[in-house]
Amino acid sequence: MELLQGTLDLLILRTLAPGPAHGHAIAKAIERQSEDVLQVEQGSLYPALHRLIRRGWITAEEGVSENNRRAKFYRLTGKGRKQLHLETTRWEKLARAIARILKPAEENPS
Amino acid sequence: MNRRQRALAGLEEDIREHLGRETRDNIERGMPPAEARAAAVRKFGNVAMVEEETRAVWRRPWVDQLLQDLGFAFRVLRRAPAFTAVAILTLAVGIGLNTAVFSVVNSVLLRPLDYPHPERLVWLGDYNPHVHRDMVMLSDFAEWRTRARSYSAMAAFSYQQIAVANSRGAFPVGAVLIGGDFWTLTGAFPALGRLFAPDEPRSLVLSWDVFQRQFGADPHAIGGAVTVDGRAATIGGVLAKGYRFQFPRWWTAQHPEPVEAYLSLVQSDMRNRGGQVAASLKPGVSIQQALAELNSIQQHLHPPNPARPASPSRLHIDPLLDQLTSGARRALAVLLAAGTLLLLMAAVNIASLLLARTSARRRELAIRLAVGAGRFRALRQLLVESLTLALLGGAAGLLLARWALALLVRLGPASIPRLDEASIDLRVLAFTICISIAAGILFGVAPGMALWRTDLHDALKEGARATGGVFGLRIRRLLVAGEMALAVVLLTGAGLLLASFLRMNARPAGFAPEKVLIMNIRLPAARYNAAAQQAYGKELIRRLESIPGVEAAGISTQWLYSGAPAFPNDSSPTATHLLHGNAASPGYLRAMGMQLRKGRWLTDSDGGHVILINESMAREAVGAIDPIGRSLSVPQPAVVVGVVADLRYTRLDADAPPEVFFPFQQTSMMFMSDVAVRAGNVSGLPAAVHREFAAIDPAVPPYGMKTLDRALADTIAPQRFNLFLLGTFAASAFVLALVGIYGVIAYAVAARTREIGVRVALGAQRSTVVGMVVREGMAIAIAGIVAGMAAALALTRLMASLLYGVNTTDPRIFAGASVTLAVTALLASWWPARKAAGIDPMIALRDE
Repeated sequence: MELLQGTLDLLILRTLAPGPAHGHAIAKAIERQSEDVLQVEQGSLYPALHRLIRRGWITAEEGVSENNRRAKFYRLTGKGRKQLHLETTRWEKLARAIARILKPAEENPS
Repeated sequence: MNRRQRALAGLEEDIREHLGRETRDNIERGMPPAEARAAAVRKFGNVAMVEEETRAVWRRPWVDQLLQDLGFAFRVLRRAPAFTAVAILTLAVGIGLNTAVFSVVNSVLLRPLDYPHPERLVWLGDYNPHVHRDMVMLSDFAEWRTRARSYSAMAAFSYQQIAVANSRGAFPVGAVLIGGDFWTLTGAFPALGRLFAPDEPRSLVLSWDVFQRQFGADPHAIGGAVTVDGRAATIGGVLAKGYRFQFPRWWTAQHPEPVEAYLSLVQSDMRNRGGQVAASLKPGVSIQQALAELNSIQQHLHPPNPARPASPSRLHIDPLLDQLTSGARRALAVLLAAGTLLLLMAAVNIASLLLARTSARRRELAIRLAVGAGRFRALRQLLVESLTLALLGGAAGLLLARWALALLVRLGPASIPRLDEASIDLRVLAFTICISIAAGILFGVAPGMALWRTDLHDALKEGARATGGVFGLRIRRLLVAGEMALAVVLLTGAGLLLASFLRMNARPAGFAPEKVLIMNIRLPAARYNAAAQQAYGKELIRRLESIPGVEAAGISTQWLYSGAPAFPNDSSPTATHLLHGNAASPGYLRAMGMQLRKGRWLTDSDGGHVILINESMAREAVGAIDPIGRSLSVPQPAVVVGVVADLRYTRLDADAPPEVFFPFQQTSMMFMSDVAVRAGNVSGLPAAVHREFAAIDPAVPPYGMKTLDRALADTIAPQRFNLFLLGTFAASAFVLALVGIYGVIAYAVAARTREIGVRVALGAQRSTVVGMVVREGMAIAIAGIVAGMAAALALTRLMASLLYGVNTTDPRIFAGASVTLAVTALLASWWPARKAAGIDPMIALRDE
């Protein structure tokens, strides 16, 4: 299944919500959480990360990873957290609407 | 580092780290290392592309597009080297000349004075109508300085040429006697020695330059003894290297040398000497307040005399900078205006060229529009091209300006203050960039407008013929007509200056100033009483006349006398006159080349009260009546024995004043005299003259020695400078107009090749074709010339103060400028017309 445009941004924000992570970890987390349903080239993560930095939703900082190697850590900003909330709400609304259209019988038994 | 750089730093590392982790994960899952790495890369995607896309996130689209437009503009300009070269050259001339003139304006008018608190420095002037300049009696100055409360410092200076002699010889130097707070006012400090105190007599302070030149920078000279005009003095100190005398100098026309020595005004100088006064206002005091105070002090010093009618106050206070530059301001304004016109013409010419190119590029633009480039984007592309061209032209202009400025500084007259310090500084640079951009926008607008109106459909349909249609031709005709108008204005202005320059240089037969050597002498009053002065004069004349080749030699002392009683020609017996008196030996008048009109010359034996007058004086004194034998009060009664023709022998930029010549032996006032020597060949004369002077009294050297020709030329140096500049502008304008009209007609002919071919095929005569093309060119030219004459009529009025003997609306000059341009236009359109007449209908129609 191809990743919907703009969804990747939301997924990154969601992944960073618990705490900062480096690029590879984010990619792994997205793959794991979507149970490998969403197939995406890991590389496309990077333009997305920078788009989010530019918008001020996340920041990047130098840090040391769990096995003592230098790595860049991405962290959600306050602005990013608000955006995550906004996007999640919107996404859920959209998902519900689409679901209603696709399965009217289940949603509306009458 | 900005956000973008910070974010992108370490991107590659980040990706490498990512791939490393993925590889390790794969190995942990049991893949062989080589395969693990390949799988990681496969999963990641194209690394280079990811990096590129990440960078792209940070790119600002307009910068990107601008770079793209710039690159394209350079390619376009490189593809048309001839056009680019012509355009850059045209702009370089327009921008370069403007930059050079602005550098001068910047240095002369805009830069503050080099003295402390330059904004508070003012000039206290007392206008003397007899000498046509400000002159304050130094006795008044002394009172002002003690009584006035508006100033933190007040200083006076009075010009004097002095002769300084030491053991090695004597040399003349331009000096000022200074009083009051001169050193404080100008922030002077000594490089060596010390500056004399006010009222400290016989101490000489020298400029850095003269100390280098005349004393070999020898520090032992400080405190050493010299003589100044024959009297003992010491060298007190030497001023710092950068110190400059930056005050109005009324004497520059006669003595262009800089002020290089300073002496103190002593009490005895103050009694009957005139000078100039400058002061520093206290903070918060306005010029009006200061002037009110000065007027009340002056009224107290010189209470109204009931016997004489009250004269209106002639006191005035002006910012020192304004006073210093007032003489140059009008000329510089005219030059700046002329420069602007020239730059406009350059812009018009390039607009016209661009229009022709735009029409050739019409298909290219149409295709770009057709494949989806927005009109704004295409417009911006054209504008970027124009601005690139303009800035390239500006850069070339700067190079030209540097060279032109060096030339201007070298040619520039000493009477334009601070001209020698003109340079291209940051302000000039900003000016150049601004006018380059303005010019770029100006000439970029026309092709832009033409593009805006392009009908896409037509442009594409027309096929490959680049010269189809008369795209933008109407705008181009209008532009070239405007250009002709500007050229008329510039040519008329330069013509007026040239005519007045010729009038100034017109010399009567027999004058031959190049054969006359003139110089000044000053006999120190301490050693020369009246009898000794006369003896000196006689001996000097005898010695000078004995030099082989000398035709005439003489000596003269000139003075002004105001308040001479009424002449017979006056209607009122209470009228008074200003007299230009000149006690001249007979040889002086002959050496000057004066022509006798009536009566006889003065002779060495004239003892009684006899005078010679010039024609102006005769007109003023007795009108049309024969003056010979009449008695005039000058101010003592004297009989006129002869009349000489008016001769402008002291300055060229004004008519000869009414003048009275007295027998030299009647004067005892030789404090400053002129000596003139006429010889068939003056080349070896100065050395011989110096020898004779040294033989009489080595402590009295002649100074300011030059040929009369040179001296007179110096008096109109500013006018020559203006003429040179405006002439350059006019010549450039002329070439631009020629190129402009040729360009538009040649283009029109090229655009109409097919039509002309048809006409010729149908039997049109060659002469008809020529006539048709030439008529088109002349219609543009005549329209432009008529508009230009109207504009010139309005604008040349600003030049009135720069002209001599020529009316600002002199019809001959206007006609001359118009006819010159009309003939030029005729030639410029005749050339393409001949080409048009030579069109072979077979070839022209096959062009289809």
